[in-house]
Parts: sequence; C-alpha cells; structure tokens
Amino acid sequence: MVDEPSNSPDFSTEKLEAMQPQNLDEALAEVERVAVSPALELPLLAATSLVKNFGGIKAVDNASIEVAKGSITGLVGPNGAGKTTLFNLLSNFIRPDSGRVLFDGEPVHHLQPHIIARMGMVRTFQVARALSRLSVMENLLLAAQKQTGEKFWNTWLRNKEIATEEQQNREKAIAILESVGLAHMAYEYAGALSGGQRKLLEMGRALMTDPKLILLDEPAAGVNPTLINQICDRVQQWNRRGMTFLIIEHNMDVIMSLCDRVWVLAEGRNLAVGTPAEIQSNPEVLEAYLGQ
Amino acid sequence: MPDAVSLQNLLSPGYVVSLIIFTATYALFSLGLNLQWGFTGLLNFGHVAFMTVGAYTTVLLSLQGIPLWLATLIGAVLAALLGLALGATTLRLREDYLAILTIGASEVIRLIALNEEWLTRGALGVPITDQYLPLGALTRPTLPTRIGMVIWWTVLFALAAWQLWRWLRHSSDRPGKELSETRSIPIHKLVWGGVTALAGGVLYGIGAIAIIDYARYGYKVGLMLLLVTVLAFVYWRLEVAVNAPWGRVLKSIREDEEVARALGKNVFWYKLQSLMLGGAIAGVAGAFYAWNLTFINPDGFIPLITFQAWIIVVLGGSGNNAGTLLGAVIYWMYFTVTRFALPAIVPLDDARLGALRIMVIGLLLIILMMVRPQGILGKKEELTLGR
Ligand SMILES: Nc1ncnc2c1ncn2[C@@H]1O[C@H](COP(=O)(O)OP(=O)(O)OP(=O)(O)O)[C@@H](O)[C@H]1O
Ligand SMILES: [Mg+2]
Repeated sequence: MVDEPSNSPDFSTEKLEAMQPQNLDEALAEVERVAVSPALELPLLAATSLVKNFGGIKAVDNASIEVAKGSITGLVGPNGAGKTTLFNLLSNFIRPDSGRVLFDGEPVHHLQPHIIARMGMVRTFQVARALSRLSVMENLLLAAQKQTGEKFWNTWLRNKEIATEEQQNREKAIAILESVGLAHMAYEYAGALSGGQRKLLEMGRALMTDPKLILLDEPAAGVNPTLINQICDRVQQWNRRGMTFLIIEHNMDVIMSLCDRVWVLAEGRNLAVGTPAEIQSNPEVLEAYLGQ
Repeated sequence: MPDAVSLQNLLSPGYVVSLIIFTATYALFSLGLNLQWGFTGLLNFGHVAFMTVGAYTTVLLSLQGIPLWLATLIGAVLAALLGLALGATTLRLREDYLAILTIGASEVIRLIALNEEWLTRGALGVPITDQYLPLGALTRPTLPTRIGMVIWWTVLFALAAWQLWRWLRHSSDRPGKELSETRSIPIHKLVWGGVTALAGGVLYGIGAIAIIDYARYGYKVGLMLLLVTVLAFVYWRLEVAVNAPWGRVLKSIREDEEVARALGKNVFWYKLQSLMLGGAIAGVAGAFYAWNLTFINPDGFIPLITFQAWIIVVLGGSGNNAGTLLGAVIYWMYFTVTRFALPAIVPLDDARLGALRIMVIGLLLIILMMVRPQGILGKKEELTLGR
C-alpha cells in the first residue's frame, strides 16, 4: 500500500458508504446556547463565532469550538485551515476581531495570555520553542505554577521555602521527563535537543503547569512512531487523571486512537464535528482535504 | 628613570584607593546592565541615564542639607522610576524600541543637565563640598576603628577569595545541575584564577595599608570601604535572586518571551522589574561616582560611559555577575597599566597616547571576541546552540 501524505486523513470508500448524519448545526447551536446562558453541565471550553483577519486573509472566519470536561478533543483540517490561529485566539496570544471564549465558565477573551495560562489553559507551539540556554530541567522547572521564589522579595526572606519547593518541583519534573522520554537529557541545554525532542519538551513543560486544559499543536509531528504510541498512552493516562486535551494533529492514527470528538476546520470555518469515525466518513471533509 | 617613578605611582596607596573606587563604581554600574541585558535580554543603550539621575539627585539633595545616605536612596528610587517610565512606554513593543528610546533618554537627560542651569548649574557643574560628606568628618579615626575597618576589609576579601576558590574547585559539568567538586582544574581556570588572586592580593594589601594610614589618604579610604561593601552586598543579592526562580523567569524571557507568557509568567512586569532594579543599581553607582569626584558636570555622563559598561559586561561574559566584576577589574587594570607603561615604551604625546590606548583596547576586544566570543567567564557550549 502506498503511503498517503501524512496530512490527509485515511478515507476509505467503505466508510464513505456508511455515512453518518451531519450534526454540525446541532453542535454549533449547542455551543451558542452554552456560551450565551451557561448551563449546569458546563463544557470546559466554549468558543463562539471567533473571527480573525490578517489583512485580506480570513484566517478564522466565524469558527466555534467546544471541549467537554475530561475529554480528549481533536481539531483537524487541511494546511492553512486556521487551526493554529484558532489556538492563538483561544489562548489570546492573538486578539480575536470578534467572538467569545468561555473557559471554565468564565469569559477569557479579554484576559492577558499569562492570566489565561494561570487559570489552567496552557498552549503549546506548533514550531517547538525551546529555551535554548536553559537546561531541559530548567525549562520544566520554569513551568511550575505559583512558585514562591518567583517574587523578588521572597528571594530575600523565604529561602528555605523556595528550596523545598524547588526540590519538590525537581522530582515532579523528573517524573514528567521520564514519561516524555527526555529523562536522559535533563541536564543538557534545551538548545541541544532535536526537533522531535523539542516537541516532547513543549509537552512536558505544559504538563508541568498542572493545567486543566492542554492545547497541543501537532504533538506528533516529527516524533518517531514508537514514541508517538508511548505519548498516546501517556495522554490517555493523564486524561484519566482528569486532564482535558484539545489536540491539533494531521496524523489520523493519533486522532482515531485518542479523541472522543473531532472538530473539522476548513478555510477558517467549521466544517464538521463528530466522533473520529464519523469524521473520516464525511464526504465534505474528504472534499476539503482532497478537492482543493 | 620614568619606569621606577611610574611603578611607584602605580602602587602608591593613594592611587590604588582611587583605582579601587573607580573599578568598583564601574563594576556596580555594569552589574545593573548585566541584569538587564545579560539575564533579561533587554537592549539598554542608555544605561548612563540612570547614573546621571542617581548622581545629580544625590548631589543636589545633599546640597539642600538632606543626609547623603537618604539622598543616595532617593537617587536610586528616581533612577528606578526612570526605568519604569522607559519600560512602561516601550516594553510592550518590539525589543529594538527600547534600544532607541534608551539612547534618546540618556542624551535628553544629559542635555537637561547641561541646559537647565537653575537646577544643575549647566556646564559649570556642581561641587559637593566636604561638609556634606559624612565621611569627611571621619578624617582621623581612632586606632580601634581603623583596626575594625581592616578586619572588615579582610572579611570582604576573604569572601571574594572563597568565591574564587569555589569557582576553581567546583563546577557543574552540565547546565542546571548542582555544582560538584572537580578533580582537575582546567588550565584556563588556573590562569584566570591566578591572575585574579594576584590582583586581589595586591589590592587588598595596599587597601589595608591605606586604611591603617587613614589620616594621610583622607575620606576616600572610607569611601572605598563603603563602596566595596555596597558592591559585595549588591553582588550577593543579585546572585541569590538570579539563581532563584525569579532569575529563571528573567532568563526565560531572554531566551523566548512567548514561552514564558504561555507558561503564565507576567513578562511585562518581570521586564519592568529588571529595568528598574538595574536602573536603581546604576543610580547608586552614580551617587558614588559623584561622591568620589566631589564635582559633577554633564561631561561626565556622555554615551561613552554606557559603552564602557557594555564592554565590561561582554568582556566578562553576559549573564554572569562574577564575569562582570572581573570585566571591570580587567578593563580598569588595562587603562591603568597602559597609562603608566605606554609612555615609557612609545614616544608619543599625551593626546596621541590616549587615542592609542583606546585603539588597542578595541583591537584586544576584537581578538577576544574571535578567540572567546562568549566572554571570559561565559560558557562556550552556549554559542553553538540552535534557537
Ligand atoms: N500572523 C499571521 N499573519 C498573517 N497571516 C497569518 C498569520 N498567521 C496565520 N496566517 C494565515 O492564516 C491562515 C491560517 O493559518 P494557520 O497557521 O492557522 O493554519 P493551520 O491550520 O494551523 O495550518 P497547518 O496545518 O499548516 O499548521 C494561513 O493562510 C496563514 O497564512
Ligand atoms: Mg498549524
């Protein structure tokens, strides 16, 4: 069998015939309802009608997304569909032209990115960003939240406390490094990591913040298949412990094996939403991927 | 005979005291820049502005009868506020805006000092007379006081020697790891350690002689002791802070501020803290600068001062406080030694000699940057890393 390009999902004609009913409109209506009048069963994240134009380019054009608490949600779409931009809007790294983002029941689209991160929504970068001249360990230690030693005055007065915290964080960091397969690199410069290892570092750093929701932008890109499987296992493990994931990924195996629900974006607009199986058998999705 | 005379001058306690004061003032000044650039990655090309504010505030306020220590403190606070003003307007923009604004601000402040004659007496400058210098009263300290001073002087140098010893014996083979004892000391460490120990020993000995003979050398001996104490204190607190999680946040901003932001750090606020704290340190350096000269005028605050601090920071290795201290010592040693040695070797008039010295240091810097681009104490591995 010939390998397909990694960014087009694996559609087979059998699946196409067993077409599932479209429930995009229903889903969008639900997001709308939730965003306007928060119900009791709140989704962890609900974003409605997000718009972002870059000059003439409509990168995100009235897109909505919802992530249920405790779920692993996927976000797919062809290159340039606006997925990364949507992440930037959710985390407010880029201000949306319009639209609302509710995180954990609170509107966050007016908050600064670092405040959103502190609330428990942490994003990773598609092009992994390592803090080169810090060690891998320091990269992780930085990510720990609410550190006493991050306040200047505390470095004068509370050194004991800082040292104990630092020790605890170190232990936690080692555990995380082991699970992303970077333990042997702990005391190397992060700048010495390979591209794939940097993606793992991104993920480790995000985990270190103890987030409620992690936004992973193509975590498997450039990572070797064995490690991808290991990471999928870990994601499920962390998910069982209560962490919610929103994952952009072109690797359909990853989406199929992990996600409860998948949102499809094309040209900045919602195209479909459903279970991975439903999405793979959706003709519109097929068209968006192949018929450009 | 010029050789013997000049060597005698070079090692005379009076001269060594003023050399130590100069070096320590520049070291303090450069530590502020190292915090901003070396640790936080802020391009501050107008560092002298903070020094100007610190110096003028101290002098003008003490002329109003405000005690010198309080005037210095106010000077430091005003310098920090200048950092706040510069930072608040540009730190949210791209990094080059800060560079441009700081250059501009340092010149504007110098021109204010030059033109607002009602406040600063313009080009004439402002003298601080002895009566405002609290150390002036201390021209004849009793023997026990002097012995106490020598003991304190010894303690300061012993602490420095201990630091040097730790640096020699201990190293961390990998970044971010605890220091561990090394079996063999690398050659370059032995060379630098030896030179530093030798220079430190000479400075300590002559400084101690000057303290014993306090009455002969005047209040400058007291100023030297105070300044070295302040320098040691600032160095110590900076080392603690940059090695704490606070410093890690600064370094992460230097490396990639988007990452820091994504991990919940308030990047803007940390940059502001770095700019203000570095500014306050430079303000204190300015107070000592004025105090030492007992006279300030705008000519003392030209952009060259900023670039001397840059040379010191880069020479020692950016992001390394010990390197900054060493950089200051080497920089001033160079100027002192060439000042005495060059006339003996090169038959040129003074003006040409001055130009020659600057040329030679430029050349030496170029060579250093080719051989050891990371600076004397910088880590070579860091240069080969990808972003
Ligand atoms: N900062 C920007 N300035 C201008 N245009 C941008 C910017 N960021 C994204 N775009 C444009 O917006 C569109 C969506 O880009 P985005 O990166 O969100 O796509 P993506 O779905 O993540 O694609 P990929 O799968 O290739 O990562 C593209 O056409 C891109 O050129
Ligand atoms: Mg993308």
